[in-house]
Amino acid sequence: MDAPQQNILQVDNLNVNYGAFKAVDNVSFNVLQGEIFGLLGPNGAGKTSTLSAVEGLLKQHSGTVTVAGYNTLEKPLYARAAMGVQLQATSFQPELNVAEILKLYAGIYGVNFSEEKLHKMLLEINLADAETKRFGQLSGGQQQRVSLAITTIHDPKLVLLDEPTSGLDPQSRRQLWTRIEAIREKGNGVLLTTHSMEEAEAVCDRISIIDHGRIIATGTPQSLIDKHRDDPEVIAVSRRGKITLEDVFIALTGLEVRA
Amino acid sequence: MMEVNIPKTSAVMASLLRSDFTTLWRNRRSVVMVLLVPMIIVFSWKALVATAGGAFVLSNSITLGLVAVGLMGYTNSIARDRDKGVFQRLRVSPLPLWTIMASRLLIQLSLIILLTIVVFISGYQLDHITISAGGYALTLLAAIIGGAVYLSLGQVIVGRIKNPETVNSTARLIYFGFIMVGMFGELGVLGDKFKKAVDWTPYGTVKTILAGSLEPMKWNNNTNVALLLTLGYTIVFATLGIKWFKWDSK
Repeated sequence: MDAPQQNILQVDNLNVNYGAFKAVDNVSFNVLQGEIFGLLGPNGAGKTSTLSAVEGLLKQHSGTVTVAGYNTLEKPLYARAAMGVQLQATSFQPELNVAEILKLYAGIYGVNFSEEKLHKMLLEINLADAETKRFGQLSGGQQQRVSLAITTIHDPKLVLLDEPTSGLDPQSRRQLWTRIEAIREKGNGVLLTTHSMEEAEAVCDRISIIDHGRIIATGTPQSLIDKHRDDPEVIAVSRRGKITLEDVFIALTGLEVRA
Repeated sequence: MMEVNIPKTSAVMASLLRSDFTTLWRNRRSVVMVLLVPMIIVFSWKALVATAGGAFVLSNSITLGLVAVGLMGYTNSIARDRDKGVFQRLRVSPLPLWTIMASRLLIQLSLIILLTIVVFISGYQLDHITISAGGYALTLLAAIIGGAVYLSLGQVIVGRIKNPETVNSTARLIYFGFIMVGMFGELGVLGDKFKKAVDWTPYGTVKTILAGSLEPMKWNNNTNVALLLTLGYTIVFATLGIKWFKWDSK
């Protein structure tokens, strides 16, 4: 019998306000070890605000976030040490090259980083020839590989990815999915935000759909499809008779285009 | 609770300092420009050494250099990195936030020391200005205290203004203002009343403590008041700058 999976992230009754505007409204979910959990939602739904509260970039109005057992407000350094974060728009000092950026973050995360280890890492991410290139000189796919390498440099228990494949070509996207799955295979948890249904179905073990700051559905992609397959709203938006996760998503969040 | 590795603060600082020094080295052209202005003053005010004294020339030269370090170097790099999201990435790492700024400030401190030494050497080589050993040591300390005023003023600018282009133009405007007020005011071109008023500005108080340090025997009550005012300016600017500062530009 398999050992029960432990919670690596527990979010309870999270509320994030921007002045009078409630960006995250009583959100609760958990991420297990060895699981890829997706947070789906239209633009402005509250995905990034939720993630920012987990990362410690935003202070929540109320609610608790616990990472690897550490409350993010009471023990922020411990919680951040247990996480690896890839922000939606990551940037590094423009003067530093790839090797220097990797060494900087290795030092910040307390990882012993010999030249041999550096070269091995660069080979793994197919950037051995780009060691002395500046981050801005890399292609989109290369930048994502460097960002992900830094995110996982300290083998974190929880990896947070904010729209990781945004702007990538199909080949780079597939490569990144393989790398994300490798993180899961190591027994670590992954929380990613996306509005790509294809990505959610291809990679996520469980997903939550968030809209107007609230979680409106949670489950495996297939279970959500099965649960809402016969809903008239879902059938109405489906195309060519086949019910997809996108149909369920649109039926639950509406057809209106968000800014 | 799962076991996690919290790196030592010393190791984190070492990593940050290494990368910040590398950044400074890769921007050495702008460092040369910062050092050039004081050297030009030392050279062009050579005739004033005989009339106003070596301390007058060197103190003005160092003061203008300190203004450049604080307003141009520090302020613009903070604004640019904030706008690019560099600080956001650092903030999600397990490092105390103060280490990010401490590393940046230590870099500026090293520039202040370099600038002061360059002015000493230029003063000796170009104008044959000699200072006592105590004077050199005291002036280095005064330069650090004076530099803190302009670093904290720079902090106010990045605290109040988020757009990096606006930060750049505001810093340049204030720098230009200091040059005009400082140089013309100190030379008495704009009259005695104006000169007296300049003495109480952040330019004047820093220049006064530098001049007093270069000639310690001439340190008097005026210099004491200037020192207190300098410290006061630093505390006020630093408090406001830290209070207003946001780590991201959104």
